[in-house]
Parts: sequence; structure tokens; C-alpha cells
Amino acid sequence: MSDKSKNLPSKQSLKSRTLQCKNLHEYLKTLNPSTLDNLYNHPTTCLAVFRELPHEAKHFVIRLLFVEQPVPQAVISSWIPQAFVKELTAATNTLSELRVWHGAPIPGGLPGWILNPSFRKNLQSALLGGGKPWTLSAQMEEDTKPRDIKFLDDYAMERWECVLHYMVGSHQQEGISADAVRILLHAGLMKGDEEDGSPIITKEGFQFLLLDTSAQVWYFILQYLDTVNERGLSLVECLTFLFQLSFSTLGKDYSTEGLNEKLLIFLQHLREFGLVYQRKRKAGRFYPTRLALNLATSQVQLQNDATQAVEGYLVVETNYRVYAYTDSNLKVALLGLFAEMMYRFPNLSVGLLTRDSVRAALRSGITAEQIVGFLRLHAHPKLLANNPVLPPTIVDQIKLWENERDRFTFTDGVLYSQFLSQSDFITLRDYAQELGVLTWQNEKKRTMVVTKEGHDEVKKFWKRLSKNSS
Amino acid sequence: MAIMEQQSKLEVEDVSLLVVVIDLSTEQPFLQDDKLSLTHYLNAIITFINSHLMLKACNRVAVIGSDYCRNKYLYPDEKNKLNIRQTDSQYEMFTLVEQTIRNNVKSFFNDDSSKDDEDEPSKLPSLISGAAALGLCFINRIEATFMSKDNLNSRILIITGSLDFSHQYMSLMNVFFAAQRQNIAIDVCSLEAELKLLQQGTDITNGHFLLVPSANLSGLVQYLLWVFLPEPPLRKHLIVPPPVKVDYRASCFCHKQLIELGYVCSVCLSVFCKFTPICMTCHAVFKSHILLPKKIKKRKVNSGSPMSVSGSMRSK
Repeated sequence: MSDKSKNLPSKQSLKSRTLQCKNLHEYLKTLNPSTLDNLYNHPTTCLAVFRELPHEAKHFVIRLLFVEQPVPQAVISSWIPQAFVKELTAATNTLSELRVWHGAPIPGGLPGWILNPSFRKNLQSALLGGGKPWTLSAQMEEDTKPRDIKFLDDYAMERWECVLHYMVGSHQQEGISADAVRILLHAGLMKGDEEDGSPIITKEGFQFLLLDTSAQVWYFILQYLDTVNERGLSLVECLTFLFQLSFSTLGKDYSTEGLNEKLLIFLQHLREFGLVYQRKRKAGRFYPTRLALNLATSQVQLQNDATQAVEGYLVVETNYRVYAYTDSNLKVALLGLFAEMMYRFPNLSVGLLTRDSVRAALRSGITAEQIVGFLRLHAHPKLLANNPVLPPTIVDQIKLWENERDRFTFTDGVLYSQFLSQSDFITLRDYAQELGVLTWQNEKKRTMVVTKEGHDEVKKFWKRLSKNSS
Repeated sequence: MAIMEQQSKLEVEDVSLLVVVIDLSTEQPFLQDDKLSLTHYLNAIITFINSHLMLKACNRVAVIGSDYCRNKYLYPDEKNKLNIRQTDSQYEMFTLVEQTIRNNVKSFFNDDSSKDDEDEPSKLPSLISGAAALGLCFINRIEATFMSKDNLNSRILIITGSLDFSHQYMSLMNVFFAAQRQNIAIDVCSLEAELKLLQQGTDITNGHFLLVPSANLSGLVQYLLWVFLPEPPLRKHLIVPPPVKVDYRASCFCHKQLIELGYVCSVCLSVFCKFTPICMTCHAVFKSHILLPKKIKKRKVNSGSPMSVSGSMRSK
């Protein structure tokens, strides 16, 4: 009984320690309703929101897409079998929260749902055509020096790694702009050093580094959007533009014509992080890179694309050695977060996972799950052929090392001591035990600890008891 | 935490691969009445395909056109890739799919080179079995190149207005059982008749069969979106029309007719509606004159069991 109450608070504290990466849906819910309605005036956002809906909700929307009048709620619930009521409520709630549909009574007086008219109109035009094009790229003449996909991929990775490099602190490449640093500081991924004010990486930053690239980009963009208003940019415009990028085709150029001053600034920022490629600032055209594509769709789906482009480089052996086939300082530095680096060759680095190195990483806020996830994500194709990918002993040991640190669980409580008689102590202790709020007790010392929630109840009981006896 | 959530999500988020087989035979009855019906038909199918691609960013699709003498990929078309620029607010990828399919359907009808010159257009129905087999090959190819850690669910949707496929009995059955082995659902949307043979196929592979009356052609897109859009793992979450009662009669090898009672070759399990002294399939010679009138050769083909049918397939 008391076990339960012990575990709860500790779990919460664990959560607050780790990095929270919202998905698109959670992010949109934080926006106010009028912003949301404005967003639906553009097909791209409708498409992005649609793709993030729960599976059942997607089919609701598709089934209602060509229905122009309210549909009774009872009819919609009859689409889902009894056994999946939970999914039904989740789907309907999501659709209402995102204002994709709203309640409307049908003529008979029954409650019904009707799709948000602008959402319906714009999703229809995204699907079937009609309306204005998103960009003015159709009138653009051919690029004389078109860039191929490989070039764009390399460019994007180079730019993005530049940001990561800066975070790890290996400064041999060109630095990043003050703006980007501001975002890193704002996101809490880095903080000003107490001594000289220069930015240093935080616990969250370490966790950020171990995420896969698409998750990193999404997290970073979310933080950027937070600061958009301060820069005098319009959130709706930026989001719409981002979604537009995310639904563009890789390896194609798009015209900057029709973008206003503010969006051009936004474009330059995206260029810096490698989400778009532009030859020159005033080139009049830009190429979206893989980082920008499908930005809004959940990170999982993106992995398919990303992992195909970037091959893994890590080989983990059962003797705790990690071989990194790479010449990138960043990758070696990342590995160095939780492994003791032993040798460095031109294209190979060898590290050793030791208790000390892993514990040092755990101390800096990285979880075992993240370490294992990182190793698995970047596993060398040779290693991928194995099943399971990583040697189970290594995975278990890393988790055990983490558990070592979690030997204490903290729970708030109130100490009861200095009981005058043993019988008083026993009655009170039994009462607390019955309620399930007793955390600890020692009969010899006549002391006990009651959880904070149970304190009031136990106190009342004690007062009643002492009143009766006196 | 973020990573943990992602991993648990992976099980739900899988890639859905859809192969659509479109019957483009000009002999389909619903095409005869109205000139516009082909446009309706294509529009509905393209909208359906784009809706499928809209569901998830990583969903894949292939479209195969079929008539009585050939099967052709309409999408993807690697040879002549269109360079699409956005002209209205349709998503570029959808425009690409739509234009590619439309162009290829056009060239499908224009390109008569493979047809025999002396023959009038044949009255035979389309080679659906061949198209479905092409679809299976396509799925197999994609699955082979797919990374093992991702889940891929594949299905084939056959949309047809032809009346009778019993002359393709053998090859269709081969396709159905191959699909069943690979765990690929075969859905059939018929615009004309209760196609008994294809019904068996949907039943074997856990697909859906739907008969859309051709009078309702303008509403075809809603039927498609309603019944065939949910991917197989999701289908138990949504209520769909109850499965039709499937007629499991086999068709005989000699006249390609569905029969309830027939003769089965004791060597290769071929089914015949009439007694033949030599098996057409394996050339086994039966001792006919002694035993014929008795019950020995005559065996009832059990109407509820696919086994007798499947047995005859393998031997071929």
C-alpha cells in the first residue's frame, strides 16, 4: 500500500528532469482559438494537422469531408465498435480541441458534429485542387545550376551539425550566429556560464544531443516559434510557411516571390540551420532540404527517410567496447558523453563503456534509455543484421547502472514522534496503515512517518483520540 | 521520455502500401451507357488514392491498369517523370499522382500496338489475375528493400466492372493463396455483379468485397473512402458492412463453369464437370469402363471447403 504513494512523487520528479518534446498536436493545443482558426485558412496547415490526428479521427474527417450538413453524434459513434469506445472518445476530443469540427444541432434537435468550414474547404482543395497556388514558383524560370538531392542532404547535415558542434563545444568549424545562440539559450539547452557568461551546455542540452536529427529539428523549431513574436514576426505566417516547406518536394527550387519582408528574415534563419538552401541571400529561389520536409509529421515516420540517408557508424561489442567508424568530431564528442574514449584513428575511434563514464552521463541528466536509444539509432549496418541489435548484456548493464543511482526514492511526509504511550502509538500507526498513508514506522522509538496527503486525516484522528481519553 | 514514447508509437505507426488494380476494359457494361462514366470512375479512384497518401506521409501506392490483353503500371512511372509545378492549391505530390495516372490512362487507350490487328476488340474480361500478380510482385519488391525494423502492411484493391472471371480460375486462385501466404489482403470493389470467384479471394485473404451498383457511380468515391481506405490493422476499429456469404464452388477445368458436383482427378486433383477418360492436366488415364457408373469416381466437391480447391492448385 505505502509502496504506491512512495513511487508516485519520484516518478514525477524524474519526468521533469527529462526533456519534453511536444508533438504538433500538443503544440497547437497551446495556441489560442483565433490563431488556430487563422491557421486553417491555408491548405498546408490543414494537411499537417490532418496527418497528426489519431487514426480513427482521420477516417471521421475523410468520411465527413464531402458532407455539408451536421451529422448526428450518435451516427458517428456507431462507426466504432463497442470494444473501442476509448479510441472513439479520444478521436472526438482531439477533433474538438483542435477545432477541426464543432457541435451543431441537426434539425431534429439531436446533437451533431460539423466540420470547421474553412478546414473542410482547404483540405478539399489540398486533396482535389482548385484555389490559389501556395507559392509563385510556377512562373519561375529554370535554375541554371540546379542542385541535386545529395548536395542538399550534405548541406543540411553540415549546417545542422554546425549547431550541434557549437553545443558540444568543439569549436573548429565556423561559429553560429548570435540569433541561433539566443534560441539555444531560450530553449534552455545552453545557459550562460556563471563566471564569464559564455554559453555552456545544460542537462537538457545533453539529452537534446542524443535525440535523432528530426526530433532535434522539431524541438528546435518549437523553441524558435516561441520567440517569433518578440522578433516581430507573425506566428501564423511562420507556421504556414513552415508547413508549406514541409510539404514541398526534395530537390526542387521554389521562388521567394510573394514572400513579405518578415518571411524573408524567417527564411534566412531557416537557411542558417540548414532547413533550406539558398545560393545567395538575394537569389530569389530556395531549395528545401530533408530537414524541412515532413517537419510536422511525427518523428517516427521521419526516421524512415532519415536513416536511409545516413548510415549508422557504431559497433557495440559485448566487451563494452564501442567502435565509431567516423571522422566527425561531433560524433566522437557525442559518444564521449557516455563512453571513455581510448583510441582515435583517422576514420575510427574506440571507446569503452565503463561504470564511471556511464554514471557521469547519468549524473548530467542523460537517462539509460537515451543512451541505449542513441546506440541503437546509430548502429552500423553490420550490427543491424543482429537480433537484437545491441548485445543484451550491454543494454542490461547500462540500465543496472542507472538503477544503482535510483536506490533512494523521496516522498514528502510528516514525522510523528514523542508519543507518550505505546498504545497511543499503536492505535495511530494502525489507523494510518489502514488508510494506506503510512510511509515508515519504528515501534521501539515510537516514531512514524505519514505521507503529506494523509497528514490531515491522521491529525484529526489523533485529536479525536486525545480528546476522548482526556 | 521522448524517446520512449517514440518507440511505443512505432508499433502503431506503420507504413501502408496500397496497390490498386483498375479494370480499363472497354467492354465493361457501365462504360457503355454514358460517355462521362469513365471520367467519374477515374476521378473517384484518383481521389481515393490521394486520400490514402494523405493519411500518412510515408504511405506508398502503385496503380496498375488492366484490359483483356495487357497490364500496365499507371503509377509509379519511373520512365517519364513529370515535372510538376503547382498551379492551384493542390498538394504537389497529389498533382503528380493525378497527372501521371491520367496521362498513362490516356496512353493506355491510345497505344494499341499490342492488340492483334485482325481481331475485333475481344469480349473477354480483363486480365485481373495477371494484374494482381504484378501487384504481388511489386509488394514483394518493396518489402524486400524495406528496413526490417519498420512495419509494412500491404493490400491490393481490385476495382472492376467486368462480369465474369471464371476462365481465369486457376491463376486467380494462385494469386489468392500467394497473397494469403504473404499476409496481403485483397479487396474487391465490383461495379456490376456479385463476382463469386473474387468473393472467395477476399474471404481467403481477409479482404472486403463490395458491390457498388453502377447506377451509383457518382457516389463511388464515398464507397471507396468508406470501406477500402482503412488499412487492414485498423479495420477492426471501424465498423464496415458485414462480409458477404461466400460461395465456395470451384470452377471446372474443362468449361470454366462453377459447379457443385464434379469429377476430381485422383492424381492431380483437377476438377471436371463431365467424365473424361484422360485427365487434361496430368494426362493420367482412368479405367473408365469398369467403374464409371458407380460412386467411386464421382465425388462431391464440398461446397464449404477451400481445401479441395487449393489442392488442385498446387498440383498444377
